[in-house]
Amino acid sequence: MAELKENIMEVEEDTQKGRYLTFSLGKESYGIEIKYVTEIIGIQEITEIPELPEYVKGIINLRGKIIPVMDVRLRFKKEEKEYNDRTCVIVIDVKDVSIGLIVDTVAEVLTIPEEGIVEPPGVSKGFSNRYIKNIGKVGNDVKLILDCEKLLTEDEMEDLNSAL
Amino acid sequence: MKKVLIVDDAAFMRLSLKNILEKNGHQVIGEAENGKVGIMRYRELNPDVVTLDITMPEMDGLTALKEIKKIDNNAKVIIVSAMGQEGFVREAIMYGAKSFIVKPFSEEHVLKVLNSI
Amino acid sequence: MSKLSHEPMLEMFIFETAQLLEQLEQVIINSEKISSYTEHNINEVFRIMHTIKGSSAMMLFNSIASLAHSMEDLFYFIRENKPQKIDFTELTDLILEGADFIQTELVEIENGREATADSCLLIEKIKVFLGDLKKINQISDQSCKNNEKAETIKQQQYYIGSDSFAPIPAKKMFKAVVYFEEGCQMENVRAFTVLHNLKDLVSNLHYFPSNIVEDDSTEEIIRVDGFKVFFSTEYSLEIIREILMDTIFLKHLELEELVGAEELIEFEKNQQAKLRETQSPEIKMIEREQDLEAHSKSLNQSIISVSVSKLDTLMDLVGEMVIAEAMVVQNPDLRGLELDNFQKAARQLNKITSEMQDMVMSIRMVPLSATFHKMHRITRDMCKKLDKEVKLEIIGEETEVDKNIIEHISDPLMHLVRNALDHGIEPTEDRLAKGKPKSGTITIEAKNAGSDVLIIIKDDGKGLDRDGILKRAKENDLLYRSEEDMSDGEVFNLILLPGFSTKESVSEFSGRGVGMDVVSKNIETIGGSVSVDSVQDGGTTITLKIPLTLAIIDGMNIKVGKSRYTIPTASIKESFRPEENDIITDPQGNEMIMVRGECYPILRLHELYNVETKITNFIEGIIIMVEQDTKNLCVFADELLGQQQVVVKTLPDYIRQLKTVKGLAGCTLLGDGSISLILDAGGLFNL
Repeated sequence: MAELKENIMEVEEDTQKGRYLTFSLGKESYGIEIKYVTEIIGIQEITEIPELPEYVKGIINLRGKIIPVMDVRLRFKKEEKEYNDRTCVIVIDVKDVSIGLIVDTVAEVLTIPEEGIVEPPGVSKGFSNRYIKNIGKVGNDVKLILDCEKLLTEDEMEDLNSAL
Repeated sequence: MKKVLIVDDAAFMRLSLKNILEKNGHQVIGEAENGKVGIMRYRELNPDVVTLDITMPEMDGLTALKEIKKIDNNAKVIIVSAMGQEGFVREAIMYGAKSFIVKPFSEEHVLKVLNSI
Repeated sequence: MSKLSHEPMLEMFIFETAQLLEQLEQVIINSEKISSYTEHNINEVFRIMHTIKGSSAMMLFNSIASLAHSMEDLFYFIRENKPQKIDFTELTDLILEGADFIQTELVEIENGREATADSCLLIEKIKVFLGDLKKINQISDQSCKNNEKAETIKQQQYYIGSDSFAPIPAKKMFKAVVYFEEGCQMENVRAFTVLHNLKDLVSNLHYFPSNIVEDDSTEEIIRVDGFKVFFSTEYSLEIIREILMDTIFLKHLELEELVGAEELIEFEKNQQAKLRETQSPEIKMIEREQDLEAHSKSLNQSIISVSVSKLDTLMDLVGEMVIAEAMVVQNPDLRGLELDNFQKAARQLNKITSEMQDMVMSIRMVPLSATFHKMHRITRDMCKKLDKEVKLEIIGEETEVDKNIIEHISDPLMHLVRNALDHGIEPTEDRLAKGKPKSGTITIEAKNAGSDVLIIIKDDGKGLDRDGILKRAKENDLLYRSEEDMSDGEVFNLILLPGFSTKESVSEFSGRGVGMDVVSKNIETIGGSVSVDSVQDGGTTITLKIPLTLAIIDGMNIKVGKSRYTIPTASIKESFRPEENDIITDPQGNEMIMVRGECYPILRLHELYNVETKITNFIEGIIIMVEQDTKNLCVFADELLGQQQVVVKTLPDYIRQLKTVKGLAGCTLLGDGSISLILDAGGLFNL
C-alpha cells in the first residue's frame, strides 16, 4: 500500500486525467477519480460522534487534523462488515471538505481511457446507483465510478423521498 | 536592476508598484507610508531610486523630495501623481525629481521611467 | 482551483478601501458633532477620496473611481476656497451617501460579483452641490481656476528677456521640436521637464506653446504639433541631441542649427504680441500647509497588517506545540522514573510555551472600538428616520476580544441598538410627558469579567412589558414553567426563545423581538450567552457574555466507556462521588440529586450519547456539577482523567453541516493522540 500512496503523490495534475483509484466492497468494484484522493491510510481508532447518521462513523486524528469518516458500505445500505487489517480509509477532498471513506480493500490506480467510460444504466439498480457517476470498462472488468460530490452532499431525507 | 524605496500612504499602491518592479527584476528594498518615514528609510537604506507619492499625511511628497535632495543632491526621485496634479509635478521637477508616473499607472510606463533614470 | 492573478491585489484593495471608509465615517460623524469641518478633517476626507480614486482606477472599478474623483474635487474646492456659507448637514449626507455606494460595491466585489452600480446620479448631485456652493459664496470659476493654477514657479526666467535677440557669435542657435509618445500623459509637464533640463546649458530660451504652465490644454497642442524650443548655446549639436534624446517618452526629435536668426525673430515677435494679450496669471507662492495636528490614534501607532490566515496558522501551530509538549512531558515511557533534571527542563519549556501561547492569543485580540463606533452611524441614521433624539455613549471600547469573535458580535450588536432605538426609546413627546430628558441615551459598555467579556447594551427607554411578554409566550406555547413561579428575569429572557415572535402574530408588540432569537443564537455559536433585564419606564438592559478566546481553554477530561470528553473548567462548580441516598427519582423517571439541601437534575452522559460503559451505577462513577449562568446540572460520568489546557478544534465542516449535536462545542486532541469531545454546558442545559 505504501507504493500505492507514492504512486498517487508523484502523479502530476494533468496526467491525473483518466486515472482512478479502485477499491472493492464485497463483490463490487468501485473507482474514484484520482484528483479527489489525498491519501490512503489503514483503519485506525475512530471517535464516535452521537446523533449522526449511522454511516458517519465519527472522526479520526490524522496527524493533528480532525477528519470525519464515512462507512461506504453503510452509505450504500449494504451489510456492515467488521473492520480488519485490510480495511482502508481513503481520504478525499471535495471542494475543501475532507472526509475519509472506509472501504473493504483498496486495489490499484488504473487508467481508464475516455472510450471506456459509459453512462450508468437508467434503471435504478439498487440503492447505490445514485452515487455512481458513470461506468468504467477495463477489459472484462466493470468499475463503478463514484460521484464524490453526491456522496458528500445528498442526505438520507432526499433518498427517502425519492424511494417513495 | 535597481534598488527602490517606495513611499506612498496607500498600501494598495505600494503593493501594485512593488509587484510591477519585482516582476521585472528590480528590488524593492523598503516602503514608507509618509514623507517623514520615507526620509528615515532613505537614510537607512540608501536606495538607487525613490518613488514619492504627492499626497500623503505627515509630510507630503514635495516636502520629502526637498529633504531627500538635501541629504543627497544626486538622489534619483520619481514623483507619483494623479491626473490634475500638473502643478505639483512641475514643482517636483523644479526641485529635482527625475521624472514622474501618473496614476493609474501601467507596467509599461513604470518600467520605461525606471529604466530611463 | 484557478486564481486570478488579480486576487492578492483585490484582497488588498478591499481591505484598504474598507479601512478608509471606516476612517471617513468617523471623520464625518466627528465633524457633525461640532457642526463644522476643521482644516484637518477636510484634508483627511480629501486624502481618503484621493486614495480611493487611485486604487479603484487601478483595479478598473470605474464607477467608484469617478465617484471618488468628484468627491475629491468637492473637498479640494472646500480646502482651497474655504467657503463660508456651507450646509454641513447636506454635505455630510452627500459624503455618507457616497461612502455607502462604495461600501455596497465593495461587498459585491468581495462576494465575487461585478461592481456594476452606476454612480452617475450621485456624481451629478455632488456637482450640483458644488455649483451651488460656488454660487452662494460668489466664487467665480475664473478665480477658482487661478487658484488652482497658481504655482510657485519663478516664471520670469522663461520670459523673453530684454537682453539681446541677436545671437552671440561663439554660441550657436538651435531649433528643436520634441514629439512625445502617444498616451504618455501630461505632455505639457514633460515639455516643462525638457526646459528644466536645458535651462542650465542654454540661453535665450524660447518655446512654443509658451503657456505650458498655466494652460493644460497645451497638452493637446504638444501632442499634435510637438513642442518647439529655440535656444542658443555653446554646446555642440551632438551634445544637445544626446541630452534631448534622454527625454523620457520621446517619440521623435527634430534638431537643427539655425543659420540665421530670422525664424527666431519672427517667432519672437509673435510671442511678444501674444504675451501682451494674455493676462498674467497670479504668481503666488502657495505654501502647502502641512497640518501637523495629531492624527487619530490608529494612524500614529506603528502597525502592520497581517493576513488572518497566517495568524490562524500560527495559532494552530502553537496549539500543536502545546499538545506535543504534553505528549513529551506526560509520556507513558517516563512514568515512574525519577527525573529531576528532566522535570526542571520540562518546567522551563512549559514556561516558554505558555508565554508564547499568551502572546499569540494577544495578537489575535482586537479592541472592540471599531465595532462600537459603527453604532454611531446607525444611531445617527435611525434618529433621523424616527425623528428621535438619542445619544450614544460608549464605555470600555479598548476592551479586547479575539478577532474571530468580533465578527460574530457586530450583527447582534446592531440588532440590539436598532431595537433600543426603535422600540426602547420613546418618542420625544412621550419622554417629556414622563418627565424624562428629551434626549434618550443608549449606553454600550464592555468590560472584562474573569475569562469572559461582558458587553452591556442599556437604554433609558420604556422598558419591557412583562405582562405582554407572558401573554405572547403563552400564545406561542413557550412557557416551561407556571407564570407565578417565574422571576422577572426569567420572564424577560423569554423574548430570546426561538418562536417568540412569529410572523403571524401582529399585536401591540409589532416588531419587538425581531432578531432577538437570532442574536441569541449568534452569541451562543461563539460560546457566549445573552440575558435580558428591564425596569418599567426605566429602560432595558441586555447583557452579552462572551468568552475571551475560542481557542485554548482550561478543561477537565472525563471518561465514559471508551469515549473521552472535556468539560471547560470554568463551567465546573464541583465534582464528587454520589451517595446512594442522595439520589431521588421522580414519578416520570427523572433522576435528581440532593446537594446541600438543593435539588439538581442528573444527566447520564452514557445515555445521552449512547456510549457503552460498565459504570451505570451512580456510586461507581462520578458526578460533575456544571453551572451556566445561575442554573446547575449534574453530569454523570465514569471517572475524571485530569485537568489540562486544551486546544479547541471545531468539528469538521462535514459533520457540522449534517447536524448540530447539542452539547458538543468542538473537540480536542489529548496527549495520547486520542480525540476528546468538548462539552458545552449551555448546550447540555437546553436538552
